[in-house]
Amino acid sequence: MDAALIPKGVKRCPIWKFMAGLTPVVLVLLWGIYAMLLCWLKGLNQTNMNNAYGFALWIWADLAVIALGGGAFFSGFLKYLVGKDELKNIINFAVLIGFICYSSALLILAIDIGQPLRGWFIFWHANVHSMLTEVAFCLTAYFFVLCIEYIPLVLENRQLDRVPFFHNLTHNMHETMAVFAATGAFLSFFHQGSLGGVAGVLFGRPFGFREHILIWPFTFFLFTWSAAAYGPCFTILITRITEAVTGKKLVKDNVVWLLAKISGWMMLTYSIAKTADTIYWAVVTAPAKGFVLSDFYTSNALYGYWILVLEVGICGWLPALLLVFKKTRENRKLLWLAVILGVIGVSLNRWVMVLQVLAVPVMPFIKWILYYPSWQEVATTLLPVAYGIILVAFSYRYMPVFPQEAELNPIEPPAGEVAPSELETALASDTQEGDLQPVQA
Amino acid sequence: MKVDRRSFLSFLIGGAAGTALSPLPWKLTDDISIWTQMWPWVPVPERGEVTHVTSACTLCPGGCGISVRKVDDRVVKIEGLEGHPVNDGGLCTLGLAGAQLLYGPQRVKSPMKNVDGRFVEISWEGALGEIAARLKELRESGQPHRVACIAGTDRGTVPELLNRFLTVYGSPQFFRVPSIQDTYELTMYLMQGVRASAGFDFEKADYVLSFGSGLLDGWGAPVNIFQAHSRWCERGGKLVQIEPRQSRTAAKSDSWIPINPGTEGVLALSMAGVIVKEALYNADFVNHQASGFDSWQRLVLESYDTESAAKMTGIEASTIVKLAKEFAGARKPLAVCGRGKGQTPGSLKEVMAVHALNALVGGIGRQGGVRTVPEPDYIDWPEPEMDAVAAAGMQQGRVDQAGGSQYPHARYLLNRLPEAVNSSADSPIQVLFVSDANPSYSLPNSKAFADAFKKIPMVVSFSSYLGETAELADLILPSPSYLEQYEDRPIAAGYARPIVNLTRPVVEPLFNTRSVGDVVIELARSLGGTVATAFPWDDYRSCLKETLGDKWTVLTDKGYWTDEKFGSAGKPATFETKSSRFEFSNAEIDALARFAPVEPEGDIAAFPLVLVPYDTMRLWDGYIGNPPFVIKIVPDTVLKNNDGLIEINPATADKFGLQDGQAAKLTTPRGTARVRVHLFEGIMPGLVSLPTGLGHTAHSKFLAGKGVNVNALIGSVEDAATGYEAVWGIRAKLDKA
Amino acid sequence: MKVEKAHKFGMFINLDKCTGCGSCMVACMAENNVPFREDETDKLISVAWMRVYKLSNNKPFPDTETSFLPRPCQHCEGQHGHSPCVSVCPATATDYDANTGIVSQIYTRCFGCRYCMAACPYHVRLFNWYDPVWPDGMEKSLNPNVSVRMRGVVEKCSFCFHRYQLVKERADYEGEEYMAEDAYQTACTQACPAKAIVFGDLNNSDHKVHQLAQPDNHNGGKPRAKNVFRLLEQLGTNSKVYYHSSKEWVRRLGDNYIPGRDEA
Ligand SMILES: Nc1nc2c(c(=O)[nH]1)N[C@H]1C(S)=C(S)[C@@H](COP(=O)(O)OP(=O)(O)OC[C@H]3O[C@@H](n4cnc5c(=O)[nH]c(N)nc54)[C@H](O)[C@@H]3O)O[C@H]1N2
Ligand SMILES: Nc1nc2c(c(=O)[nH]1)N[C@H]1C(S)=C(S)[C@@H](COP(=O)(O)OP(=O)(O)OC[C@H]3O[C@@H](n4cnc5c(=O)[nH]c(N)nc54)[C@H](O)[C@@H]3O)O[C@H]1N2
Ligand code: SF4
Ligand code: SF4
Ligand code: SF4
Ligand code: SF4
Ligand code: SF4
Repeated sequence: MDAALIPKGVKRCPIWKFMAGLTPVVLVLLWGIYAMLLCWLKGLNQTNMNNAYGFALWIWADLAVIALGGGAFFSGFLKYLVGKDELKNIINFAVLIGFICYSSALLILAIDIGQPLRGWFIFWHANVHSMLTEVAFCLTAYFFVLCIEYIPLVLENRQLDRVPFFHNLTHNMHETMAVFAATGAFLSFFHQGSLGGVAGVLFGRPFGFREHILIWPFTFFLFTWSAAAYGPCFTILITRITEAVTGKKLVKDNVVWLLAKISGWMMLTYSIAKTADTIYWAVVTAPAKGFVLSDFYTSNALYGYWILVLEVGICGWLPALLLVFKKTRENRKLLWLAVILGVIGVSLNRWVMVLQVLAVPVMPFIKWILYYPSWQEVATTLLPVAYGIILVAFSYRYMPVFPQEAELNPIEPPAGEVAPSELETALASDTQEGDLQPVQA
Repeated sequence: MKVDRRSFLSFLIGGAAGTALSPLPWKLTDDISIWTQMWPWVPVPERGEVTHVTSACTLCPGGCGISVRKVDDRVVKIEGLEGHPVNDGGLCTLGLAGAQLLYGPQRVKSPMKNVDGRFVEISWEGALGEIAARLKELRESGQPHRVACIAGTDRGTVPELLNRFLTVYGSPQFFRVPSIQDTYELTMYLMQGVRASAGFDFEKADYVLSFGSGLLDGWGAPVNIFQAHSRWCERGGKLVQIEPRQSRTAAKSDSWIPINPGTEGVLALSMAGVIVKEALYNADFVNHQASGFDSWQRLVLESYDTESAAKMTGIEASTIVKLAKEFAGARKPLAVCGRGKGQTPGSLKEVMAVHALNALVGGIGRQGGVRTVPEPDYIDWPEPEMDAVAAAGMQQGRVDQAGGSQYPHARYLLNRLPEAVNSSADSPIQVLFVSDANPSYSLPNSKAFADAFKKIPMVVSFSSYLGETAELADLILPSPSYLEQYEDRPIAAGYARPIVNLTRPVVEPLFNTRSVGDVVIELARSLGGTVATAFPWDDYRSCLKETLGDKWTVLTDKGYWTDEKFGSAGKPATFETKSSRFEFSNAEIDALARFAPVEPEGDIAAFPLVLVPYDTMRLWDGYIGNPPFVIKIVPDTVLKNNDGLIEINPATADKFGLQDGQAAKLTTPRGTARVRVHLFEGIMPGLVSLPTGLGHTAHSKFLAGKGVNVNALIGSVEDAATGYEAVWGIRAKLDKA
Repeated sequence: MKVEKAHKFGMFINLDKCTGCGSCMVACMAENNVPFREDETDKLISVAWMRVYKLSNNKPFPDTETSFLPRPCQHCEGQHGHSPCVSVCPATATDYDANTGIVSQIYTRCFGCRYCMAACPYHVRLFNWYDPVWPDGMEKSLNPNVSVRMRGVVEKCSFCFHRYQLVKERADYEGEEYMAEDAYQTACTQACPAKAIVFGDLNNSDHKVHQLAQPDNHNGGKPRAKNVFRLLEQLGTNSKVYYHSSKEWVRRLGDNYIPGRDEA
């Protein structure tokens, strides 16, 4: 039915199967949309946020997806500016993930603010002192960059590509992509940093506050660094998941390993910096405000020292080392482990820098305030996840996201080839069905 | 025209770009954001001419002056009247939230008749006609004494009009809502021979010994005492608070001395013993201005030595001695009693013991001591002419036996009314008027009051608000609120000088209401005869103006009248007893039951804990239901959702396996309630405590259904000497829910 | 042209006098059109510009002691007006007024991102989680000098700025340069039955608040008066609400101290 839209040289499962597979995701999406409408129409009383938790699950999700989406700018930076050309084989996917992450972030912000219809005040009445202003400007600008980077991919769809205007547009955009990549990288360095600055400048919140270099707190640099380090991890993870779901190899190992290696070294250096930052904060910054480490990690039911060990040790140093060494990096299972730990680590870091900042009592006579999200918050947070899966599925189905796919998965495998996976068998047999034109026709 | 895909797409893109570049989206965005600034469902208060009206707060007997800020004809804010002798600009939470009472949903908007449990509107003529018909019937059948009236106070023209009405009609059944004032008035009468109120010169005192009085929790004239407390902070006055639970007052005191509840009188007598034994008393006063000292001191020394007092009170003997010495050694010591806000009369002999302490240190009539504040004298209406029916009716005894052989000194024993009604097949009271009172909520054993009100064939409420008692009434004749009418308020409880406040119509009455005074005058008129002639005024307003005489000008001008010179000349107190002295004891006093601590009701085996209600400045528990702002600031350690929290010492909670915040079932011999546990180190182990002022079932959704009405859980206990309400708590148990 | 020295309005609250009665809270609500809901027991979503905290020395019966601490907005100056909250607001919806030292909140500008709430260590800032609703007729008591806030924006104590504006307008109109101490007073100060709150110009040595707090303007406004402290002094918020308590344990609860380093 949709064969005409499917890229040349690759096989896709039948549309009904594709749709059936997406059904549960669509249901989650609809649930999320319902919750989103509730939040917009009835207000933020639908959440479990409160005056102590002005920022909660959503802002965490925002910071996390932006960090994870960092694979886009950093891969772009590596490919176009550093010249790691192999990365062209994964850059499309990185851009797609970035696009999803950033559009999700903007959507979540639109739900999160109390007066969405006034959201544009942040631009119109901008306060240059505010980290959020910087975030808003760079985030929006970078989102446009991602759109520009994503559009050629969309236009490469077989049918769209037939329109000469689009064909030429795509071509010209490819020509100038380096400029956009550079712009994107620049913007990203800033907004990732500013997101780090959000907590780092809070001099009234000793858990978040960090010493400054010029006008930027340490967290500014740590956030940029960690996004660059862990974003590619997420790109790899999603690539691997896509491979698992489609049952195909989509990107050659050497490409993944290269990205993993760079990511690993970034993670290692980040872990060193983060460790140093933590020590300095614990020994100098916090005590100057009257706090010691135990004030931040005791007397409550959730936030213990374990969180520090998990974030910096198990999800920081460990995956970094796993990716730095060739032997572990090129071990399939350990690579999986490393990228999963990395993704958990950076997400945990963003959680801590949003929620723990608010949970720690600052006035000595109040207690820790813990929070759990309402279903509306959970649903709206899953909404972009569902949307992301759908977008990945559609993009994968109709666009040449993985340049190496056709090469790695020849359509008529010569007899005696390795037995295809179960899923692949299903997919292969399905393409023969009905009156559909074979794709390669 | 053929539209191919390409031109269609071009059109789309071109159109989008064109729109984006046009002013339209920008204009729309701007308009939308402006719309968010003025959502039609967010009210915009109208501007207008700003005026300030001087008036008085009548929401408690505290006697504050207020300045009401109006914008056009709307009350926008109530503020304390600066320069008012009682509150000088300060105001309590209730007074500040007064506008919410004026405009709130709990107002009764027109006369109402209860038809099979539902209130329906009725005309004034219809309502008054029904009442007059019933009153005529009773009078004609020679039963005028079966009409009764409960009023919040007996001072001022409105209660006096009600009382006068009952008298000329032929009924002695006038009740005033009980308070510590009852006991203090009787004490003044028995020990000083005067019909007067006790006034306390907190401002000048430098050592205040409070036997559980919530001086900073709404006792007396609250704002006045707050300001006195602040002066103590500045000048070094000392406050010693004796009570088992750390109230706000105890928290702010210089010394909090926990005591076994109910034994305050023991401590007072024992301290007196120390002062007598060590001859620390003011010899001049005791020798020259007092009598009956010898027999009194004998009793004190015999029965209340410090060792046995220590056992009873739980206070170490050395502490008792120390307190006695401090008290006697202070320059201007002042002892005061009446638990919490002083809403319970308590034990007469306990009050007398505390009063005797003041006498021992020469504190009667002196600056910083206890003043004799005469009853207001401006209501000087001619004695009414009584017809035979009235005379006969007045000869009938009171249903509560007040003034009878058992309790000759009591004026009103409202606490005994439920029993009198509920125990007889045919209610001795046939018609009951209720003004400024809500007994079926606010008095101990509140359920018995509710039962009695259901049983009385005709209950007429004058309430402005749909409270619990009003809900039980057969007819509600709503009076205007205190911001809508003139009324004199000759009280500021416990205040050391005579004072009269005047409320005035700050705004025109919002609803179809009539003042109680007008209703009384109209009813009298419709009854005719001597009843009518006793009320020669056109209406309440002219009655008030005429009654106040030359005070009217001062009152309408300043909002209050006070005897500026009162007590300032240092004139010694005059005693109108037989001996013309202060009488520590005399035949009349000795004839009354001796002091004994009031025991809480209940069996200790079945009820191992003791429930003591507490009064707090954050909640009001009388006739006035707390308005939304007041409920809003109730801490979440007192009320959480609709659950009231019960205070318990962590050690006691541990013993019963109860955790902080846990739901529990509170049981007393009188009832049960669902509560949540609040661990509080400031309460004596073995006790549990609930605030008064919650657990309403009426008023409005902002108040009803929240927390527990502690009055429904405690019964009534009579003081052996007077018959007054003397309950301070009840035995209880607390189980996991 | 008039050259006037900037005001620096501030508060001095005597915790020895404060009884925790809550009048300041109610006075503020009535003055500033604060809405109310049927259930206000979830204090984490309840809007109250002034909040009175109950402090305890946490000792067991009978040595337990309690004190009360009213907490309006501290109107932090930070360094050069960079209050914790003002500097973070992306839309300039809250502002440090150099002429008065008052941190304003502009409801129609605020778009509800709540960053300022995260920034304020005193839990002063409150979000309108719900639409404000007044039961029929009760909207009559709303004060036209203060705008009613809509759902989705942040609000907080303004030191009753509208009262300043009224006085200032009048003064400007009448060509007066001097603003009398009692001309501009906040609603909470006025209502406090204990007269525990003193409000005035910290820059004016004739004002009681200056005399009581004795702010050291060369040293970030630190109080020089005995037994006077500011909340969380070490954070550098440079706040303008000064507290007095004669009790050591109460003063210690005003800031965080490190065992071993800061002696009790
Ligand atoms: N409660 C409250 N009151 C306020 C204010 C507030 O914020 N709250 N704000 C105050 C302020 S700042 C202001 S400026 C005033 C504004 O107060 P008003 O001047 O009363 O403002 P509008 O309500 O806009 O009313 C203007 C009227 O002019 C009419 N109109 C519109 N265009 C024309 C035209 O071309 N010719 C003529 N003849 N009429 C026209 C409109 O239909 C409308 O009836 O309100 C003040 N009053
Ligand atoms: N749709 C529509 N829009 C209008 C109008 C209209 O009629 N309809 N009228 C227009 C007119 S005439 C006017 S004057 C404007 C008025 O519009 P605005 O100037 O927005 O006036 P307000 O709505 O009164 O809001 C002023 C806000 O500023 C805050 N504020 C108070 N004091 C200070 C302070 O000292 N500093 C700071 N930074 N903030 C403070 C208050 O909290 C208050 O919420 O609206 C204009 N916009
Ligand atoms: S203390 Fe009593 S009289 Fe004074 S404001 Fe409060 S309720 Fe009114
Ligand atoms: S009104 Fe005064 S005494 Fe009452 S809580 Fe506020 S500051 Fe304290
Ligand atoms: S107290 Fe909070 S809201 Fe007020 S100025 Fe300081 S940081 Fe801002
Ligand atoms: S919530 Fe409003 S005032 Fe606060 S930072 Fe955001 S826009 Fe500014
Ligand atoms: S200064 Fe004004 S706004 Fe601030 S707490 Fe006091 S009354 Fe409320």
